[in-house]
Amino acid sequence: MTATRVTETASDSATTAPLLQIESVDVVLGRGWRAATILSGISLRVWPGEIVGLVGETGSGKTTLARTVVGLIRPKRGRVVFDGKDISASRGRERRAQRRTGHIQFVFQDPLRSLDPDMTIAQIVGEGLAIRGGLGSGEIARRVTAAAEKVGLDARLLSRTPGQISGGQRQRVSIARALAADPRLLICDEPVSALDASNRNYVLRLLGQLRDSLSLPIMIISHDLSSLAGIADRIVVLYRGRVVEDGPVGEVFASPRHPYTALLMASAPSVRHERELSVHQLRRTAADPAPPAGPGACVFAARCPFAAAICATAPERIVVTPAVASASFGRSVACHRHDEWPALASDRARPSASAQQ
Amino acid sequence: MTGNSDIPVLRVDDLHITVHHGAATAVQGVSLNVRPGEVVGLVGESGSGKTLTCRAALGVLPPGCDISQGTIEFGGTDVTNLSRREWERIHGSDMGAVFQDPASYLNPSLTVGSQVAEVLRAKRGLSRKQARERTAELLSAVGLHQPERVYHQIPSELSGGMLQRIMIAIAISCDPRLLIADEATTALDVTIQAEIIELIRDLRDRLDLAVLFVSHDLAVIRELCDRVVVFYAGQVVESGTVEEIIGHPAHPYTQALLRVASVGDFRRRELQVIGGQPPQVGEHVTGCQFAPRCHAAIDACRTAAMPLHAEGEGHLVRCNRAGDENLAAEIAAKTAREAAEVEAEVGGELAAR
Repeated sequence: MTATRVTETASDSATTAPLLQIESVDVVLGRGWRAATILSGISLRVWPGEIVGLVGETGSGKTTLARTVVGLIRPKRGRVVFDGKDISASRGRERRAQRRTGHIQFVFQDPLRSLDPDMTIAQIVGEGLAIRGGLGSGEIARRVTAAAEKVGLDARLLSRTPGQISGGQRQRVSIARALAADPRLLICDEPVSALDASNRNYVLRLLGQLRDSLSLPIMIISHDLSSLAGIADRIVVLYRGRVVEDGPVGEVFASPRHPYTALLMASAPSVRHERELSVHQLRRTAADPAPPAGPGACVFAARCPFAAAICATAPERIVVTPAVASASFGRSVACHRHDEWPALASDRARPSASAQQ
Repeated sequence: MTGNSDIPVLRVDDLHITVHHGAATAVQGVSLNVRPGEVVGLVGESGSGKTLTCRAALGVLPPGCDISQGTIEFGGTDVTNLSRREWERIHGSDMGAVFQDPASYLNPSLTVGSQVAEVLRAKRGLSRKQARERTAELLSAVGLHQPERVYHQIPSELSGGMLQRIMIAIAISCDPRLLIADEATTALDVTIQAEIIELIRDLRDRLDLAVLFVSHDLAVIRELCDRVVVFYAGQVVESGTVEEIIGHPAHPYTQALLRVASVGDFRRRELQVIGGQPPQVGEHVTGCQFAPRCHAAIDACRTAAMPLHAEGEGHLVRCNRAGDENLAAEIAAKTAREAAEVEAEVGGELAAR
């Protein structure tokens, strides 16, 4: 086992230790010619009591990262440290014991597919506790009721099956199931993407309250920036398996330092039209010079209108603001031109009508 | 404006749809028009009847659902009671449709190009060669780069956004007059969603297409549509131009939808919810359907059914108190009080643990 590696995001002078530390994790799925690097050099930390929003598009590796944290995928390189213990290295009996503590809980994207249609809500919420063992049926029932109360589920619904309740209620059942195990870290994979706006806000508010009252750290995976803006404390932007930007939610949204973050923000639909940059200023057009290509190039170069010769090498994560204790988590960006592109973007013409691509 | 563009492509009048073989009425008296070159958005919670209305307009109601009253006119002819064979002629040629999950509408083992060409051959009677050429044109028209390459790929080799473009290519392949898009961008990434919205807008401009666009997200509707129809519990509660609906929503339900929609300035703010549940299909609510959840409901709202009445030009509202100047303030006060109560309740529960 190697000694603790120093990561680039934060100094270890933080007063509270991070609960979860992901250190230079590489994940390769498939073997031989099929092998594909899904994550490369991912480092991030989660402190107690914060909500980390993981943003990125389909195929950016958000779900793979979450599955690596819970131990469903073994990283090829790097390690996952939970509460001071390297959990990515454990095997067999040790690993099973760790899983059964229920310290890390996962909420899946589509509750209709992740909940057993033949079981009642009470059985679903209590199943994990029954498997873990050591609890009597009375105690399990008590915990099930408590978990249902925490997520605002009516006790009358406990005897129904997932098919008999609404979509918003089903997602609350998934969260109750996770809470019943008394987790220390909650990972939610697209918890709101299948819900309408009102239910989405309800679930997000619920997650926010859980953080505030239980100081439960939560990692929320989403492709929707505006829903994260409401509750996340920190935003981590992934693009093709790399962290391109990481920082406090307010700072990231006030002034994105990576062109991809800016593109995500400009693309989000909104009921008001007051955007600093339009998507057209952040998308490549045929007029832009050809981006540097090659195996070592920046992953975003092919879509980036500001790519220059320097982008032929992959950018390191540059620390913009270092982390100072637990009050500030620091900010980093992986872009060679993070200082230059905002000015270049505002110089790009805003097309008046909806232009042809 | 030419006289032609005033004639609606689709006209739905007083549509009633029953479900479960007539046991309950899920859509009650919906009327709407879509004119050429116009994008009309249907918005509402799940179960509000937007999809059923769409499917009735497409002539593909699910089994057990029937039109019990009202008419649907397409291009001036009544299509309410067409036989399957007659619908067959309209499907794919005069009317195109795009749905939420493109992958489930394509054959996974055939190249996407051949599936577009198949439609052209069946509907247009084109020869193999003509169909192939037209397909290549269509693929580049929907913004796919390297159409020759995409032609020979199978669905699993393409991303969700590309598949949705293929579905749009199929939908517009026979120059339809109406495009129906039911939650067509919901499952896509935001960057791709923005591109698809742009594509639909562009097709509307170029082909003078009439578009019926269904979404539960008012923010998406705002980006694309010219007119908005708000559905609640199987009824139209408000309709008007997108500027009117977003700028001056008159119905408390529309105002609530607007409060929960993404604002897009990425600022931390209190997340709003609409309290309560919409009535179940078949549940009888006397008076206004929204009254049990409405913060501004008065006694009159609970006694008699509300007709749609005009609230300015082209702006229809189904509300007793529309235009009442105290309405907004009253709702805001009640909402704030309720939010505080919920907060205290949940907080107390958690603290008690």
